[in-house]
Amino acid sequence: MKTNASIWVLLLVAYGAIPLTLGSNHYVMSLLVAALVIGGIALAWALLGNLGGMVSFGHSAFFGVGAYVSALLTLKAGTPIVIAMLLGGVGALLASLVMLPVLRLRGPYFALAILAYAHIFKIIATEWTAVTGGSAGLSSIPRFPTAFGFDFSGKVGSYLIILSVVLIFALCYRLIRASDYGIALRAMHDSEDATRVIGVNSVLLKALMLFVSAFMTGVIGAFNAHYINFLEPDYAFNGLWVTLPIVAAIFGGYRTILGPLIGAVTVYLIDQLVFKSLIPYGHQLILGALLVAMILFSPSGLVPLLRASVRRNHAAG
Amino acid sequence: MLRVEELSVCFGGLTAVNKVSLSVGTDEVVGLVGPNGAGKTTLFNAVSGLARPSSGRIIFDSVDVLRAPLHRRAKMGIGRTFQIPQPLHELTVRENLLVAQRFGAGQVDQQKIDEILEFTNLAPKGDREAAKELALTELKALEVAKALATNPKLLMLDEVLAGLETSGKRRFMAMLKELHQKFAVGILIIEHDIETISNLCQRVVVLNFGKLIADGAPDQVFRDPEVIKSYTGADHAGSR
Repeated sequence: MKTNASIWVLLLVAYGAIPLTLGSNHYVMSLLVAALVIGGIALAWALLGNLGGMVSFGHSAFFGVGAYVSALLTLKAGTPIVIAMLLGGVGALLASLVMLPVLRLRGPYFALAILAYAHIFKIIATEWTAVTGGSAGLSSIPRFPTAFGFDFSGKVGSYLIILSVVLIFALCYRLIRASDYGIALRAMHDSEDATRVIGVNSVLLKALMLFVSAFMTGVIGAFNAHYINFLEPDYAFNGLWVTLPIVAAIFGGYRTILGPLIGAVTVYLIDQLVFKSLIPYGHQLILGALLVAMILFSPSGLVPLLRASVRRNHAAG
Repeated sequence: MLRVEELSVCFGGLTAVNKVSLSVGTDEVVGLVGPNGAGKTTLFNAVSGLARPSSGRIIFDSVDVLRAPLHRRAKMGIGRTFQIPQPLHELTVRENLLVAQRFGAGQVDQQKIDEILEFTNLAPKGDREAAKELALTELKALEVAKALATNPKLLMLDEVLAGLETSGKRRFMAMLKELHQKFAVGILIIEHDIETISNLCQRVVVLNFGKLIADGAPDQVFRDPEVIKSYTGADHAGSR
């Protein structure tokens, strides 16, 4: 009951209060959009980590591939943006297919292999100039259209789009986690052999999670391409598109669904609004310290920490 | 049902299982005995798919399963337990069975799960978190329950009685005796205790240093001088 109520409040704030009160403040809205982009990747990353038990440093590849596929489809084939974004996700999913051989690797080996893969895509985007425009990049990528009499290309419109995308993904995540597959995946974490001998095809299940995670990240990348209207390989495949989400997910609690989102919004906004004004250069320093403190004092992250304190207060009251 | 032919499993230079041939029928309870390091668990691992044999054949229900992956063998009806219980972490007892049934047997049947929980005396613990809240006897029972939930034709039990105190052992024995009939499952059981094996099995197979040294009725096999020698390490056969 309590969680349900707080989610409704959160939705009301996100869809109502924020656009109404902050909608005219372009700076804050752009920060929120950026935070949600990072939050979306963080959610997809955490899905792979939490359900698939895999730590990926390669999500920037999915982000970049999604961005390029969607941008190119709209630029060169005139595909409607919504369809192009979904196909951006499909593109990222296809990119993840080449990562299948490393799924059998565990722990740091998987992380390293997927990092190497991510680099391959960046090189392709840079060198395949005929299609991608090379390091000069792509410009004038179509913006979001006006629909229902509302201009979605503006800050508020973009905010509403990415917010909805991210929330839909969170819902999908929840459905997957509650399914039989989700239960089996949870079991696989610490007892992979034991789950395999009772008939669970662990490699297939992990592959499915990789596909879902890659698709989500690709769609987020596609959104970002249409939001900023410009792409170049160094930007689209930048390692920050995976490191920031990892920080956000771990800070918020990567084993919860909303943790990565809340982590992203908290970390990014505090960093940009508070720390940046205190230390214009090198403000990420404080962020690093904050993350270390969180890992030391609440290894499972912010959301579980809040939940525990709510429960304590509840018990005390 | 299960036919193992000339099976060898090597780890580097060590031959853990050396050209072993044995069979288990649908209506059989077969004991697998031998001193520590004889290759019993390795044989289980090879049959269930956890260890890769270097040569030989594993025929299950007339199908060569040597190259079949672990999960496929489970779906075909090869069930097993682990000597050190491996409950599925983060799941309740009931969810453990649910996963086993959903993926091993292909469909969920709550009634069957209830029946298995009841049979393995785990019914009161259904909602407990398996890895954290069960005692050893219960963990061992869960091993059996999980395997049963996959609807196996062959059940391979790896020292399910080891480490239990006497009363627990007695209850477990009663359960094992009934298991074979009730769930219509062939059983291959690793056990050190000769009395248990004699009590439970129609047939017993003895391994020593990876080799099969005897295969027959328990009372015959346990009188075999070579078997006694393998267990005692000396020639006590003559003094009997």
